[in-house]
Amino acid sequence: MDGFIYFLIQSVNGLKLGSVYAIVAVGYSMVYGILRLINFAHGDIMTVGVYTILVLMTAFGVPLWVTVLLSVVIAIAVGLATERIAYRPLRTAGEEATLISSLAVSIFMQNLIMMIFSPQRRAFHLPEYLSRLHTIGFIKLSTMNIITFAAVFIILIVLSLVIKKTRIGMAMRACSDNLNASKLMGININAVIVTAFAIGSGLAALSGLMLAGEYKTIDPLMGFVPGLKAFCAAVLGGIGSLSGAVLGGFILGIAEMLFAGLMPTDFTAYRDAFVFVLLILVLLVRPYGILGSKEGGRS
Amino acid sequence: MRKLQKVLALLLIIALAASLTACGGGKKSDTINIGAIYNVTGGQASLDKPSLNGFKLAAKEINENGGIKGKKINVVSYDGKTDQATVANSTKKMIDVDKCVVVAGLSDSNYALAAGNICQEKGIPFITSGATLPTLPDQVGEFAFLAPFGDNIQAYACADFAINDLGLKKCYLLIDQSMEFTKTLAHFFQERYIANGGEIVLTDNYMNKDPDFSAQIDRFLASNSGAEIIFISGVPDDAGVVVKQFRDKGVTLPIISGDGFDTPLLIEVAGAAADNTYVGTHASLENQDPKVQQFIEAYKKEYGTAPENAFAGLGYDTMYLIADALNRATDINNPKAIRDAIAATQNLAGVTGTVTYKDGSRVPVKSVTINKVENGKFVFIKEVLPE
Amino acid sequence: MRLRDSNLFRFIIFVLIPLIVIIICGFSSGSYYAGLVNLFGINVILVASLNLVNGFSGMFSMGHAAFMAIGAYAAAILTLPANQKLISMPGLPEWLIYMRLPYPVALIIGGILAAFVALLIGFPVLRFKGHYLSVATIGLIVIVRAVLDNEDELTNGARGVTGLPNYASTWTIFGAAVICLFILYRLIRSSYGRGLTAMRDDYVAAQTIGINLTTKKISAFCISAFMAGVAGGLWGHMQSVISGKFFYIDASFKIVETSIIGGMSSLSGAVVGSLLMTFIPELLAPLETGIEVFGIRLPELYGASNLIMAALLIVIIIFRRQGIMGYSEIITESLFSAKTYSSVLKKSEYKKLCDIVAHKIKELSSRVKSKGA
Repeated sequence: MDGFIYFLIQSVNGLKLGSVYAIVAVGYSMVYGILRLINFAHGDIMTVGVYTILVLMTAFGVPLWVTVLLSVVIAIAVGLATERIAYRPLRTAGEEATLISSLAVSIFMQNLIMMIFSPQRRAFHLPEYLSRLHTIGFIKLSTMNIITFAAVFIILIVLSLVIKKTRIGMAMRACSDNLNASKLMGININAVIVTAFAIGSGLAALSGLMLAGEYKTIDPLMGFVPGLKAFCAAVLGGIGSLSGAVLGGFILGIAEMLFAGLMPTDFTAYRDAFVFVLLILVLLVRPYGILGSKEGGRS
Repeated sequence: MRKLQKVLALLLIIALAASLTACGGGKKSDTINIGAIYNVTGGQASLDKPSLNGFKLAAKEINENGGIKGKKINVVSYDGKTDQATVANSTKKMIDVDKCVVVAGLSDSNYALAAGNICQEKGIPFITSGATLPTLPDQVGEFAFLAPFGDNIQAYACADFAINDLGLKKCYLLIDQSMEFTKTLAHFFQERYIANGGEIVLTDNYMNKDPDFSAQIDRFLASNSGAEIIFISGVPDDAGVVVKQFRDKGVTLPIISGDGFDTPLLIEVAGAAADNTYVGTHASLENQDPKVQQFIEAYKKEYGTAPENAFAGLGYDTMYLIADALNRATDINNPKAIRDAIAATQNLAGVTGTVTYKDGSRVPVKSVTINKVENGKFVFIKEVLPE
Repeated sequence: MRLRDSNLFRFIIFVLIPLIVIIICGFSSGSYYAGLVNLFGINVILVASLNLVNGFSGMFSMGHAAFMAIGAYAAAILTLPANQKLISMPGLPEWLIYMRLPYPVALIIGGILAAFVALLIGFPVLRFKGHYLSVATIGLIVIVRAVLDNEDELTNGARGVTGLPNYASTWTIFGAAVICLFILYRLIRSSYGRGLTAMRDDYVAAQTIGINLTTKKISAFCISAFMAGVAGGLWGHMQSVISGKFFYIDASFKIVETSIIGGMSSLSGAVVGSLLMTFIPELLAPLETGIEVFGIRLPELYGASNLIMAALLIVIIIFRRQGIMGYSEIITESLFSAKTYSSVLKKSEYKKLCDIVAHKIKELSSRVKSKGA
């Protein structure tokens, strides 16, 4: 029984981490699904959002909900600006060109944030009512954990509805299937892409809040690893599939925690390596990701 | 396309001109060029930026007090960008192009070894301000010095303190496997702890930048190992996060660590949860020694923030260590003479302790300060000088 | 007539001047400028070999640093003296501890090991297309780093391996670079290389005309990994210190950036890209340290060179999406064709060059005049 409880505790740890990954991955997947752009700058937009919150909260003492709103707005602005400057001129170029462009944007933003805010890691505190701990049986969760977990599903449901039911959602699906054909059919692909970037960047800011709230620190390079993990989650779940991204995020989180918790301690430092081995193994069995279909994987 | 080429060409020319003027600026004979190689951007920046700030602050103070033998110090510093090739090339540039007579810097042994090897090859003294690998000077050669104590000393001090002062003989060890410094520290701690009759009941690992320690903590809780103290071998970035997560999971045992935990982040992040944490480090910023307080004031005035961590003080002391040696050196243009002067440093008091290079060793004999967090503040507990 | 059509001109620009630079650096080894030039040489090997996979075969690998790491560690283990290995890597089998090989052999073995790992990972991973391969190769870097950092007994863990003898002289590096470029150049011009480009341009059509795609992909990946391994061995012995963190994702991204900037589908692009990415940051470095311009001291701006570099990357890629060299092979063609070298002995070539230069000058002066009027 003890072993079972231990397993459960580690699984809950995995769910906590997984929900953070999932929420980053959904935002990532929005853009990735349509443009097939490995957006290395996604994590850095997250960083921008988090620093916005920090500045507004500590310097101006604005209440949290206002800062969150503002950070989402700023993240969207930054996201759209990068799209306009660095990605749109390259839309007809190969994937490599946009990839390098996104890498450059990422380097640019990291260094800019570092120059403005210094490279130091900083403490990031949520108001007490969000970081309060609740004990449920043998499990301890903060309010923020529960909100994050719920947010993943709310966002997933809302976005799925948007994509299924609205006109712009339909256009998004069309673009995701075939960008050029959509253009020929008279879909305003600029509008679609801008929408996708706006949603993705806004979600990035939100996920930044959740990540920083969970670990209580932020630094200019904080976006890189979650960005990479979100990319893995999106690929693992199936490109372009939102529920796939969420599933991929949870699988990564749980796998990491179970690996670190159950393997002999000599191996715990292989946690990240294990994630990638797992990813490769899954792709061998399901070459288009868990929920992806062959058509979804445009070549 | 033409336009682009023109723009590119123009940029190149500007850069070239800039680099030339920079070279020209460094060749005045009334200045002494001293190289400061730090990774001011990239992953190492949180340690290296404060070090460089401290280093420059000290140089400024020295110049305001008349410089060295009538000459002003000119700190030549390039950004290593946390990239080994850039560190190596910048070091070469300091020596070949800027004619620096001493090079100092870096807080990570891997990078310090790279820079040190170059200085050794060229016969220029190299002092690492923050890397604490005790074997570093021997690995590099006679021109390499450590400004801080070696990892062995702080690890021994922590182990002695845990067993002799706290009387806690069962330890849980958590190690960051991705850093040279944390591995060496853990190695020496374990060695001494066991030699003193202690027992390591469980060892676990993590990699730098894993923000989530819950798997390790729950394993520790489930193991019922009977540990009485926790030794965490980690870097400043992780200090607050890991302590906070332990406390959140209900672990109230004393936690002890090396200078990696000597950072305001520990208290800022963990808050009240940081209590009952011991830190073996270079100096206490709470130390009421006027030298230390003066340094903190000067740093605040210059950079607008208090010293970010102990590395600021180390950079500051390193510059004074160099200045002291230059003042004593028979010939300040002869690197060999400067080296000999550095090696002969005796009882040089700094903000991070007193430096003496003893019996030809190039690792200073420095005492370790043990601080404890109490009510959200670092409190000085004792100073230890382990044999 | 254009300057580039003159074989003699090509000789001067692509053979003579580089040769002089290399010779100067070869005799002033250890100096700052020689260090930069050496780094450039290693970058050429890395980028050119990456181009074989990314540019000519249409796969997209981002894991070059992993192969570098394997080559660097292998070369280190094979060249270090036994007493040092006993201290830092006691877990190695006894025969390996006492084995010391000449540096070139160690380099090649390092390359072979890297190629072997590429083979192992290639079978499962090369079935993936596009981004899946990118993720898998990034994963390879993470895995290699984890092994290097954690297997203390074999690699000395995160402490790294130090004290590598300084065998990687300018001569060795550029010898290796020219050999690698030559092999790649011949490969790409052979039927094998045409098969690769066919595969890149049209996957299905290549398959239908009977090109065995699996062997092609895997062999190209292995050749590329081999060269990356050799470059890693050179890099380690040039820097004298190696550690897992030097071969991490950021290092790999830098190689990919260089490759794309220069032009992925061109070996000459590898040369041009390496040239820019090695030297421009060095030129920008003084900007950060607060230089004096016209007597005014600019503030320190650490990170500025990174910003400028990033902006430059975006500008270049927007205006030249195929990279600076595109598909042109002017440098390698000049380097490896007999015509370039025989032109030195031909009188007519000198006359031709003079004519072109005279023509250019005339053109220029008339342009200046017309502007003046």
